[in-house]
Amino acid sequence: MTTVCPEIECDLLVIGTGMAGMATALFAAQRGIDTVQVGMTGELNFASGLLDLLGMHPVAKAQIWSDPWDGIAQLIHDQPDHPYARIGVDTIREAMQAFINFLNSSTLPYRCHPHQNAQVITPVGTLKTTYARPESMAWIDRALIDRPPCLLVDFPGLKGFSARQIKAVLHDRWPDLRTARLPFPGLTGELQTERMARRLETPTARAQLANAIRPQLGDARAVGLPAILGIARTQQVFTELQQALDVPVFEIPTMLPAVTGLRLRECFERQLPQMGVRARYQQKILPTPSLASDCFILQAGGETPEAQVRARAIVLASGRFFGQGLHADRHAIRETIFDLPVHQPADRSQWHRKELFHDEGHPIHQAGLRIDAHFRPVDAQGRCVYPNLFAAGSILAHQDWIRQKCGSGLAIASAYAAVQACQAVLGQPPQAATA
Amino acid sequence: MLTSNVATIALGICLAGTAWRISRWFLSDIGPESDGLSTGRRLAAAGRALLGALIHPRFWQRSKIFLWEIVLQGHLLQQDRLRWAMHMAMCYGVLLLVLLHALDDWTAPVFFADYYPTLNPFRWLRNFFAFLVLAGVLGTAIRHRRHIRFKRIRSNADRLILLLLAVIIVSGIVLESAQILSASVFEEMVEDYMGDDDPDEVAALQHYWATEMGAALPVPAGERTADAAAGQTAHEAYCAACHSRPQTAFLSYPISRFLKPVAGMMDALRIDNWLWTLHYLVSCLALACLPFSKFFHLLATPLNLLARAAGPVSDSPRAFRASRRALGLDACTHCGVCTEHCSVAPFYRVIPNPAILPSEKLSGVQRLAAARAPAAEMALLSDGSFTCTLCGRCTRWCPSGIDLQDLWQASRRDLIQKGFPPFYERAAAITPSATRAPESTVSGHPPLSLGLTDRPETFWACVQCTTCTSVCPVVAASDDPHRDLDLTPQQIMNLMRLQLKEQAFGCRMLWDCVTCYQCQEHCPQNVKVADVLYELRNEACRRAIRSPQAIAAGSS
Repeated sequence: MTTVCPEIECDLLVIGTGMAGMATALFAAQRGIDTVQVGMTGELNFASGLLDLLGMHPVAKAQIWSDPWDGIAQLIHDQPDHPYARIGVDTIREAMQAFINFLNSSTLPYRCHPHQNAQVITPVGTLKTTYARPESMAWIDRALIDRPPCLLVDFPGLKGFSARQIKAVLHDRWPDLRTARLPFPGLTGELQTERMARRLETPTARAQLANAIRPQLGDARAVGLPAILGIARTQQVFTELQQALDVPVFEIPTMLPAVTGLRLRECFERQLPQMGVRARYQQKILPTPSLASDCFILQAGGETPEAQVRARAIVLASGRFFGQGLHADRHAIRETIFDLPVHQPADRSQWHRKELFHDEGHPIHQAGLRIDAHFRPVDAQGRCVYPNLFAAGSILAHQDWIRQKCGSGLAIASAYAAVQACQAVLGQPPQAATA
Repeated sequence: MLTSNVATIALGICLAGTAWRISRWFLSDIGPESDGLSTGRRLAAAGRALLGALIHPRFWQRSKIFLWEIVLQGHLLQQDRLRWAMHMAMCYGVLLLVLLHALDDWTAPVFFADYYPTLNPFRWLRNFFAFLVLAGVLGTAIRHRRHIRFKRIRSNADRLILLLLAVIIVSGIVLESAQILSASVFEEMVEDYMGDDDPDEVAALQHYWATEMGAALPVPAGERTADAAAGQTAHEAYCAACHSRPQTAFLSYPISRFLKPVAGMMDALRIDNWLWTLHYLVSCLALACLPFSKFFHLLATPLNLLARAAGPVSDSPRAFRASRRALGLDACTHCGVCTEHCSVAPFYRVIPNPAILPSEKLSGVQRLAAARAPAAEMALLSDGSFTCTLCGRCTRWCPSGIDLQDLWQASRRDLIQKGFPPFYERAAAITPSATRAPESTVSGHPPLSLGLTDRPETFWACVQCTTCTSVCPVVAASDDPHRDLDLTPQQIMNLMRLQLKEQAFGCRMLWDCVTCYQCQEHCPQNVKVADVLYELRNEACRRAIRSPQAIAAGSS
């Protein structure tokens, strides 16, 4: 059965709706590039909402950096193949600035210290190093110095979040933590953070929650909650709850299912189309793309093609294994859309070390696409495969973003660099970014 | 004289004064409301208020419904013009025949002092009404042949009544033909109505009747033309007051011409008397049978339409609801329009249970209400009833205005009470060790399965990320998903991964799923969540749903 597909022409096609894909589309739109974005539910849903720049290097020595820029400088020196080395510190700085400025101008403000990493409490009570975090999580950082008495609230039915556990783990670091377990207004049984967050976007539920917390406050000087303060209106929920309780309120990221990634995703899904990006969410690229003169021709759709896209350039930000940008079977790792050469250990037996928590991590995590100076994937001989195909994000080789705690920085900075490189190919002079 | 003039003047003054006082009602200004209003408007408002005080506002609405739905059958016109035309022809043909012909002794004299059946316009009207009935029946029969739905739903009582109706109409037409032809009837009439026995006059009349009035009388040989004029005079003197020309009987007259060759034999046997007896007795038989056939809808449907004007059954007083449902059951004419528009009628092609179709289900409900349904039938009725989605299309389309949706809800409750709950409750009772029901449920069709639930590739990518649960609208509609749905979608997927799929059959999430496909479209690992739920439901039905054959074989 032949279906009539609308044909779309664009300058840039962004494949991927994760952190890198959204950042690419953002930077391209800010530069006035005619952009189409295609992607499915992937890794962004499960993000913690924290923007890591660089936390740990070298991984083998578990050295944590308080100034990420010093860490990056060291990393570039030690690992010249790392994508950060390709990008350069100045560009990384510009990229993060642009990204955080965008978030601040939308409904999801982020906070960071320009030259210092911050710390956030995790749901198991440990402390995590990150660079930029949502405003609703910012209070903890200063508090870790003074350590005032603080009330942590959890809810029966919300799995994976125990205030008592957090208190116990942080006890040495922060002695005066109190806990309270309160029923969540309006919901019973097993709770999910997404439902709780959407409920708190109504004034009634907020008032009920504040009324339940207030009697437990005592002389506590802040209240810690799991990350349930709304999804689309986080700032409003957060501000009103603070006003109702008269003390600072902060969020602690939760285990999956979490809303922190959903907030970022919904923010981008709302804003990018308004900035002119032709977004085709919940669609993927169907086999097989082809090349005609110097344009790519691809079909986008769900199970069946819904549009034919003709693009002068592509940024491939399709993610790693969970996002299905890379696929590993019993023989090799493949890149799933263009079948680009993937840098990988010679044999499958070398993918993993025998200890799960080996100090140096596992070689499979260093696998991925190698790139040239213009962020274009290259083959084993270092030759660029397609002159107008660029790559960004976790699909790149020579990085271990989980252990190095550089995931967001990698995604955002590589997206920035890829868009800059892409502009040259498209023949447009690099413009100053319009915020 | 003076006194009557004075009285007239006094009356005049009184009336004028009254008119003047009344006019002041519409001219004086008390209160702010009448500022800027013209007198005409005030008069109109007062008129409306008076009518409203005397007559309840609903009266107009009910009158309109009576006129539009019952007299003009306008709701049928809106659905299908041809069917409306056929039904109006049959309905009014029969009604007017009964009113103006069968009951002519009572009805006609009210309007016409000199009524006689062979006078026009009655003669012509009788034929016309008979023609209407025939045209309606014929047209309906042709439509029935062309529409497959009707082949499924015929009953013997209805066939009998149609046969009786045909006999009545045809015997009536042929009776009139026989009477036109009959020489014996002529002789009897001459004996009764001619004053003298002047043979010349009788001969002249006979000549007239043989030539002009279609009677099968021997024309005396060697007639003089004077006889023709004399015949006409005699006819006008004795007959014309009651007899119009038979050519106006446009059905009977042509048939009488056709039968003229055998008129003598017919007359010798007095076929006309036999026909009259037949016509009369069969009419009485039809009258007696009427309440026991579907033609009882002549009474029940207008009453039901009036009852519907007051609102749905659920708005009626509690004590009236059961009666109204019974009235609705009797208003059913088995026309099959409900089945034609039923959302789940296609299921019948796969599951051969007639109770899935609303028109058949209604017959079952009639028997259930009369406590004449055996257990096997109630089982089938239950399966059919719970396949229904209560979408309400049948209710919207029913030409008799039956509140079918309410009927299905009520009968479902009765069935549960009698021990025939929905089949998915039986599915919950299936344990892995239960033996399967006989394979005869789905006859002649391949199993409706993609084979997903038995293949590990379907599930091994599932990481229990709960995206499917968080996008599910059924989960979102519940305050406590585990209380209302037993399991959430990702938990059902987990059961698949553990190879425990039978445990999913009884959980309500499986049956409350609205197949919106959000879960499958959003799954980051491309697990076919919605298709798996479909397949689980089909599997549970295959094991739990009863087939007519299985019931007949006595298996549980």
